[in-house]
Amino acid sequence: MQEQPNRRLRVLLAKLGMDTHTVGVTIIGHALREAGMEVIFTGLKQTPEMVAAAAIQEDVDVVGISTLSAGHTRNLPKLARLLREQGGGDKLLLAGGVIPQEDQPLLQAAGVHKIFTMGADTRDIVQYLEQWWAEKQASEAA
Amino acid sequence: MNDIAQGVLDGVVAAGARAIRWLDDRDPRGADLVRRIFPATGRAQIVGVTGPPGAGKSTLTDMLVTELRSRDLRVGVIAVDPSSPFTGGAILGDRVRMARHALDPGVFIRSLGTRGQAGGLSRSTHDACLVLDAMGYDIVIVETVGVGQDEIDVVNLAHTTIIVGVPGLGDEVQAVKAGLMEAGEIFVINKADRDGYQATQRQYELMLHLREQAAVARDAGWSAPLLRAVATSGEGGKAIADAIFAHRAALEARDGFARRSGLREREQTLAILRERLIARALGAQGQAVLAEAEARRIDPYTAAGKLLAQIDGKDDLA
Ligand code: B12
Ligand SMILES: Nc1nc2c(ncn2[C@@H]2O[C@H](COP(=O)(O)OP(=O)(O)OP(=O)(O)O)[C@@H](O)[C@H]2O)c(=O)[nH]1
Ligand SMILES: [Mg+2]
Repeated sequence: MQEQPNRRLRVLLAKLGMDTHTVGVTIIGHALREAGMEVIFTGLKQTPEMVAAAAIQEDVDVVGISTLSAGHTRNLPKLARLLREQGGGDKLLLAGGVIPQEDQPLLQAAGVHKIFTMGADTRDIVQYLEQWWAEKQASEAA
Repeated sequence: MNDIAQGVLDGVVAAGARAIRWLDDRDPRGADLVRRIFPATGRAQIVGVTGPPGAGKSTLTDMLVTELRSRDLRVGVIAVDPSSPFTGGAILGDRVRMARHALDPGVFIRSLGTRGQAGGLSRSTHDACLVLDAMGYDIVIVETVGVGQDEIDVVNLAHTTIIVGVPGLGDEVQAVKAGLMEAGEIFVINKADRDGYQATQRQYELMLHLREQAAVARDAGWSAPLLRAVATSGEGGKAIADAIFAHRAALEARDGFARRSGLREREQTLAILRERLIARALGAQGQAVLAEAEARRIDPYTAAGKLLAQIDGKDDLA
């Protein structure tokens, strides 16, 4: 007889480039922990290459980028591409922070699955992730 | 899923990462995976890094990785942080201090939550070490959670355990109580740039002296060195790396390397057996028996006897 499986959603949270706004990403991290998820922080000043490598090594389900100092139209599409190239194309890519409305279609076309901007309720973010996770597990079981 | 096992044996990063995930999640595919990779393990030196919260374990690990890479060794890191006992969630932040190695193909860093396990490690840490060993990493560093008194499971896992202390924590006496001083093979006072270094050094020296006299160390034939480090500046990395190799050589000279690996597998066998026996005993009517105990209708000895009877048909109390 086998022990019971104990799957837990794993989320990597990172900040790219010179962006040092840490409040949002810290709040998100704690909210996800409270929801029972495992949150891996990579720290500040990451490049898309570093985040992709960490996401693969940590075998996370979700990669979340917090971006408040522009640069997102360059580095988020790059990260999405690197993840796909390195076998992480099934990971959910989220972004939050200061992301003007007009940039969002471009990011979504490039592979960012969902964007949460200023004032987003952490409960909505948790619920979004829980639902995505439930659907993923159901589709894997099928 | 043989391709994951093959990938581990071929050193493929994504395969190793997935293998550790299965083992951490207790995925049923994990047992078969270990069976396949086990013959390729037993080569890596497992090095534990433990000490109180905030002592600089992650920073010191980062420094050690740099030093070991300069000697052309491939390094795996398992960094354990506590899971919340209430939600099961965790914030795993150790790798923040190791970010400069993120793009080095000779380094693999994995963060694990304790997931309810006491002792300073996760239940899956041993398995994760096997995976990194099979992938061909020469040294696997295991950073424990910040430990208090007796969370020293790492000494059963590692070939070599580094105890990290810091000046002026007032934890020196605690360390003795904790058995940390009995367990470690290499002692490091980190943050040697801080006030109080010398007083702390004297206390450690005294305790190591007492330990030699009492021969409480589990490893006669090895005299534990006391080293100083400033992990943030890289100071002390070379001496610690030298001590790691010296300890391996000392173990190998007395056949202790393989013996320690063997003791670890023995412990792990017992741990798996305990889990499976409990799972079996709790099968079928197990929950009902537990409920009776919980309602205080039967005493715990009677309840445990009834549960055991579910496995072998006889109540060992009867
Ligand atoms: C506080 C603040 C600072 C502080 C940061 C302190 C710290 N340690 O974080 C300080 C003073 C240091 C600072 C500095 C600067 N700042 Co500033 N700062 C702000 C301010 C006022 C609030 C940011 C904040 O903390 N919000 C609270 C948190 C909770 O909100 P949040 O981060 O948006 O997060 C929420 C959502 O976005 C989302 N979310 C965020 N991340 C993620 C991630 C994931 C995965 C998910 C799912 C969701 C998610 O969930 C959160 C909860 O709702 C904003 C104004 C604003 N309207 O945002 C400017 C702002 C971000 N800053 C700005 C600027 C320009 C700067 C500076 C360049 C200023 C300067 N000239 O010196 C420097 C640059 C620093 C740097 N290198 O990055 C601009 C950015 C403009 C742009 N992007 O085009 C803003 C928008 C102000 C403005 N209107 O001009 N700043
Ligand atoms: N002054 C000084 N600070 C240091 C030194 N080593 C580490 N630190 C700092 O101590 C703090 C904690 O370091 P970590 O490496 O995260 O400590 P840790 O033991 O891994 O912490 P936990 O994993 O949370 O228990 C950080 O701010 C480090 O920069 C040192 O040698 N000198
Ligand atoms: Mg740490």
